Amino acid sequence: MAARPGVECAPRYAKVRMSYRGHETVDHTADMGIRGWGQTPAEAFEEVAAAMFELMVNAAGLAPSRTIRISREGSDLVELLLEYLNGLLSEADVAGIVPFKVSVGALEEREKKWIIEATAEGAPAAGAPGRLLVEVKAATYYGASVRERKRGMWIAQCVVDL
Amino acid sequence: MARVELRKVHDYLWEIPKSGEMNVPGRIYADRASIEFLIAEEKSKEWDALLQVRNVACLPGIQKASLAMADIHPGYGFPIGGVGAFDLDTGVVTIAGVGFDINCGVRAMAVGLTREEVEKRKEDLAEALFRIVPAGIGSTGSLRLTMEEIDEVLLRGAPFVIERGYESADDLAYVEEGGAVEGADPSCVSALAKQRELKQIGTLGSGNHYLEVQYVDAVYDEQAASAYGLSVGTVVVSIHTGSRALGHQIGTDYQSVLRRASEKYKIPVREAELVAAPIKSPEGKRYISAVMAGINCAFANRQAIAHLVRKAFKGVFGAGGGDIRTVYEVGHNNLKFERHTVDGVEKELLVHRKGATRAFGPGSLGIPDRYRAVGQPVLVGGTMGTSSYILVGTEKGMAETFGSAVHGAGRRMSRKQALREYRGDTIIAALEARGVIVRVHSTQGLAEEAPGAYKDVENVVAIMEGALVSRRVVRLRPMVCVKG
Repeated sequence: MAARPGVECAPRYAKVRMSYRGHETVDHTADMGIRGWGQTPAEAFEEVAAAMFELMVNAAGLAPSRTIRISREGSDLVELLLEYLNGLLSEADVAGIVPFKVSVGALEEREKKWIIEATAEGAPAAGAPGRLLVEVKAATYYGASVRERKRGMWIAQCVVDL
Repeated sequence: MARVELRKVHDYLWEIPKSGEMNVPGRIYADRASIEFLIAEEKSKEWDALLQVRNVACLPGIQKASLAMADIHPGYGFPIGGVGAFDLDTGVVTIAGVGFDINCGVRAMAVGLTREEVEKRKEDLAEALFRIVPAGIGSTGSLRLTMEEIDEVLLRGAPFVIERGYESADDLAYVEEGGAVEGADPSCVSALAKQRELKQIGTLGSGNHYLEVQYVDAVYDEQAASAYGLSVGTVVVSIHTGSRALGHQIGTDYQSVLRRASEKYKIPVREAELVAAPIKSPEGKRYISAVMAGINCAFANRQAIAHLVRKAFKGVFGAGGGDIRTVYEVGHNNLKFERHTVDGVEKELLVHRKGATRAFGPGSLGIPDRYRAVGQPVLVGGTMGTSSYILVGTEKGMAETFGSAVHGAGRRMSRKQALREYRGDTIIAALEARGVIVRVHSTQGLAEEAPGAYKDVENVVAIMEGALVSRRVVRLRPMVCVKG
């Protein structure tokens, strides 16, 4: 099901029993929707980042060799999601790597702001010829949402500009 | 979901009448078939493009109409193909009208070799271009800059890289704005944006960016073609790219700034990306200055790539292969201060073009002297391996569209669907069977860019010509295609 602007969407296979965490891409005419879900917001954020980086690199069998760390904040979870995804893209670009393994160390509300601390492991872009796919320019607010669909299932999604 | 009312103005123009919170009507250049495609299913994604035209019409200070060119499809806040011009005192600047690839655009260069000469060596040429012009994720350019030097790029654009040896200065007369706009302020661009760009000047990027060697196979307007120095058989190189990571980062940096500004200045946000600030507000001025810096970065990038193209041609054809002149360079994701007539009064406006190309008509200032009598070249990229066009702007276009035209064919199919229907290796084989040599860094990326995933560029160009707002000059067919 395509993401609608400003409208939160349930995962496409809402009536099918889902794995407790996972990710997928969602059709969009010009670019691509990404969606991650998990038992906590942190897991959903890890999964949606995985969906994003799967657009960029085929990492099957690739061993991570470098790590980047980011720390971002947002006034709400949607802003945090965008800051986090775009932060990963930016820092990975500066480091010259394509990440494919993201871990969220902390995701919490502090003093009326949401903060996230995450690491991403990857490999140098120059060292992965033939595995590089499409460049993600940015994560956008189009269709962006972070919500608890039911107890113990959090979904994070947005559309990325390719 | 709210329905959008449409009425037909003529065979190639439809209007969303001004109503409710709209400040101006919406106007979409389309034929009946493309309008029916846009509204075919009530829940179709394509409805969003028309809603976006309407939402843009609600922005403060917008003049005449919220416009969409014939390659309209859904974007982020603005439709792709969208044009919105704003009064400087009452109007706003919106990130949606610029996007993440600031000054993405095309440079077309004419080559002093015959089509036959190039056909004989096109495999070698394809290899040379693929090897010499960096493309794809993580690619880096040969120009390595310091943080101080990147500020020079943002201020001075193409002339800076020419001084660093990326010739030639003769190009600048045929580049929009001479390859540099005023008003750039590097202090409005984040250190992160600059760091990302340090190694990216002179890189093509990926996705729908490309480098094509083409030939003119049809001339529709002899006078304009002659002014541009083009005739049947002229070999042309087209470079399609933009401001690379710097543009992307400016977009992401200012998303939250303009979100907060929308709240502060009570500008309703009708779609999440359609955030804005008054043009003369501190936030608006900073964003505009950052965009101007991004525009200059893209000019520098295309100038550097043009130099690499010349190097590749010289490597294959010898010294004579480097006789390459710029026909024109123009952007299609831009923010420009321009003078236009509104209700009989000429005034300066801030014009957003998002997936729409500036197309100034005959007599306009700001286009090369040699082209002024006929009008500005408009470079329209077709889908990979299919036709591209050079159009010309018209007086009617100046009056109706602030001198704007299409930028390409526009997508009609999602990337996932394209991946289901097409394979990169099959596309390469099909193109090579037609004599088009393809070199690509990502075959998955190629499948996503399959010609079948896009609308018919012939139709898109014909609609604009039918509406008399732009006119075909020449058609180009590809010989070599290089993609990231």
